[in-house]
Amino acid sequence: MSKNIDLEQEGIEVKKSACYFCHQNCGVLAYVKDGKVLDIEGDPEFPTNQGGLCCRGNIALDHLDHPARINYPLKRVGKRGEGKWEQIPWDQAIQEIGVKISKIRDEFGAEAVATAGGTQRTDDWARRRFMNQFGSPNGFHNSHLCWIPTFMVETAIYGWCPFELDMGNSRCLVLWGQNPGAAGMPEMHHISALQAKGMKVIVIDPRFSETAAKADLWLPLRPGSDLALALAWINVIIYDGLFDQEFVANSCEGFGELADHVEEFTPEWAAPLTWLTPEQIREGAYMYAMNKPGNIQWGTSVDQIGKPAGSTMHARAILRAITGNLDVPGADLLTGPSPDFITDEEMEANDQLSELQKTKQIGSERFKLVTWPGYSRIAEETRKVWGKAPTAEWMCEAHPPSVFRAILTEKPYPVKALLVNATNPINSYGETKLVMEALQAVDFMVTCDYWMTPTASLSDYVLPVAGALERPTITSTYGCSDFLLASQRAIQPMYERRNDYNFWRDLGMAVGQKDQWPWETVEDAYYHRIAPLGYDVSSYDEFVDRYRFHFPEREYSKYERQGFATPSGKVELYSTVLKDLGYPPLPPYIGPTENEVDHPVLAKEFPLVLTTGGGFMPYHHSEHFQIKDLRFLKHEPYMDINPATAAELSIEEGDWVWIETKRGRIKQKANLTQGIHPRVVYTQRGWWYPEREINMPELGGCLESNANILTSSADEDCDPYSGAWANRGLLCKVYKVEASDLKGEN
Amino acid sequence: MARYAMVIDTRRCIGCHSCTVACKVHNELPVDMIYNSVTTVGPTGIYPDLHMYNVPTLCMHCANAPCVDACPTGASQKREDGVVFIEDKKCVGCQACIMACPYGARVQNHATGAAQKCDFCKDRLDVGKKPHCVNTCHQKARIFGDLDDETSEVYKLVHGENSARLLGELNTEPYVFYIY
Repeated sequence: MSKNIDLEQEGIEVKKSACYFCHQNCGVLAYVKDGKVLDIEGDPEFPTNQGGLCCRGNIALDHLDHPARINYPLKRVGKRGEGKWEQIPWDQAIQEIGVKISKIRDEFGAEAVATAGGTQRTDDWARRRFMNQFGSPNGFHNSHLCWIPTFMVETAIYGWCPFELDMGNSRCLVLWGQNPGAAGMPEMHHISALQAKGMKVIVIDPRFSETAAKADLWLPLRPGSDLALALAWINVIIYDGLFDQEFVANSCEGFGELADHVEEFTPEWAAPLTWLTPEQIREGAYMYAMNKPGNIQWGTSVDQIGKPAGSTMHARAILRAITGNLDVPGADLLTGPSPDFITDEEMEANDQLSELQKTKQIGSERFKLVTWPGYSRIAEETRKVWGKAPTAEWMCEAHPPSVFRAILTEKPYPVKALLVNATNPINSYGETKLVMEALQAVDFMVTCDYWMTPTASLSDYVLPVAGALERPTITSTYGCSDFLLASQRAIQPMYERRNDYNFWRDLGMAVGQKDQWPWETVEDAYYHRIAPLGYDVSSYDEFVDRYRFHFPEREYSKYERQGFATPSGKVELYSTVLKDLGYPPLPPYIGPTENEVDHPVLAKEFPLVLTTGGGFMPYHHSEHFQIKDLRFLKHEPYMDINPATAAELSIEEGDWVWIETKRGRIKQKANLTQGIHPRVVYTQRGWWYPEREINMPELGGCLESNANILTSSADEDCDPYSGAWANRGLLCKVYKVEASDLKGEN
Repeated sequence: MARYAMVIDTRRCIGCHSCTVACKVHNELPVDMIYNSVTTVGPTGIYPDLHMYNVPTLCMHCANAPCVDACPTGASQKREDGVVFIEDKKCVGCQACIMACPYGARVQNHATGAAQKCDFCKDRLDVGKKPHCVNTCHQKARIFGDLDDETSEVYKLVHGENSARLLGELNTEPYVFYIY
């Protein structure tokens, strides 16, 4: 883009924007003239990326005005999925959608309107604000698969989630199911620099990932067996005397009960469950416990193992506490919410949703941790100590698979409308066949997106949303950090695109929320949020221009002053909050969602273990398959299989293969690699084919290579604490695609 | 006059291909053309005892550039600061340079017939900026600078341990160095 563009010419303004293709939100400098972005590059002064941009960041201009972008509101004129659309004005679309959902509210109750979100690249406090005032508790995201259950378990144990890693002073970093080498470039850069200075890096991952290749210790465990490993580490750290006696004595409750509880969970017990050796397990426990201070970095994998997820999060949280790696220099810090700026939660208007409507939140009677029952209990504790609560959007949502089932069964009650915002549930939510049926069955569906995705194509209305370079961004770790990074839009949205904020605001105004949206633009709302910080600025844009970040002075060991935000004021290894909610107060052992020990018959038919959902360059979730400058890198879906296993199955490099679980099968191409256990396969996530017909029945080939055909969201496979469903640690089989079914069905 | 060089630290490279994409986008290359690819070697070994590394390649900006010698029209040239480049309008698409380059760094543009390759983003160098692939690298695996400047990072790295040139035996004297 820049080859023939003179960036030294007069009239060029440099805007401090942000990348918007994952939620790292790397700093971007945009060169703008006459309302057009001429070029972009990474912002060298941005603290995270320091000038770097990954593959995705580099294609921002391709994305901005890609010929396949949706630029105008579309109203369906043919049958659902037929691809016949009428272009209508934004205001007309909003009015018609408002009328329709008001009618549904009148007839079935506000809870009959649900909304589905994707990853955190929207102003979701605005969505929540809309839903609370509308009266529906049934907003949801894919958040169950991404940090939210972890956040809430950890907050139950020690009063906030210690997501802020003080790595500059760390001597050991555990990357638990995380691969920043492919999914978190700014973080990887810091890790590499610190590792060169002596910090030990332990990677726990079934795959020899980009990050594992650089690790000091790689622990390739059986997918989904993280709990056995965590319990065995606790056992070693307690019974070999590696724990922090002072911290445990002064700051923890329930150590005696914990010691008794884990006595049987020796490395020898865990070895056959994790497929690691007792020596590997001990080596990891010693490396973490003996190189203090140390960090355990969260990764999505544990959120995605289904049944044992909640207990695993609890066990992992305990590891930090018993080693004293909590809120001290170099350890994992409990920042708490910002006392200074207005947080996402404070923008959500949660007090506007009645207690009665809260009780109707779908799934909340079974999965209590990240729904109103658990959220209320935990927020009550955090308010006492921090004065604020975690963001309710994300941390307190309807259970998505249960909402999809409610659409189909009308149980516990009918759900008639689904407002889809920045997500393509057919590819991104668990158990695609269920999702697909629900999306086809729901009475009314609106999708806000950049592209005509398979989901958008099934909608009644499709609204064009502003993307990277067209929107301002506040980055504050799902609204839960005490710092914020602020970025501005480079240009106003092109065509008739609008911010998702404006969608919710406009729709809110259309259904009687006129006095509740005083901020006309996102910048107005953002300025309202940062104003209490007291900077001498008169607008949000001026804050970005002059300051851009707010990092409060760091205070370590805050618990000495204020205690932990738990009922006892201490770290509750034995968790009374979990116990009150009806969950085990100490982490019980639960096997992987599907496994050879508990399900021998299933394992006979499906002898391999599947892991999926891991991020890979250059895509993000189910996005970017349209962008040629990315697609050339990986133009077809690949699955990893060990050469020894492939040989047994007569599979050669590049062969199309079926991967099948008891829920269905997909096809991807075989990548033969030593980087995976002979009994494990990994499939890429997200795949669909935007170059194909997007309308029914082809729907962009969204069922053909889509890993979520394989995953399970059945109640019995979900984490009982949070309802997180299972992407990893499932049983599968693999066999060659025959020439006769190359143009295949599922 | 500077003598530009690039050092690639393969210990840091994670094979994310950001450099490849940044180069393609900024140089507006057709989908079938790449100036700087990244080759992943491995995983080698037998599970779980494995090793893997990545080797980014690009025009080596050789001091003894065989492509410049091979060019019959004078399109392939070398600047005083060591940047090897192609003057588009003089290129007749004979592909002699493509065959002469031992690093496979030159590619033919199928639309125009001309040979093209990395020119270290010389237009950016001329206004004091670094090549796009250097800036975009999160891992800071590419270090760019003046090899004549003894205080520069590239000087220190090139004259430190574990520094190597590709196909050194050909005596092409590349100005892209690798740390391993």
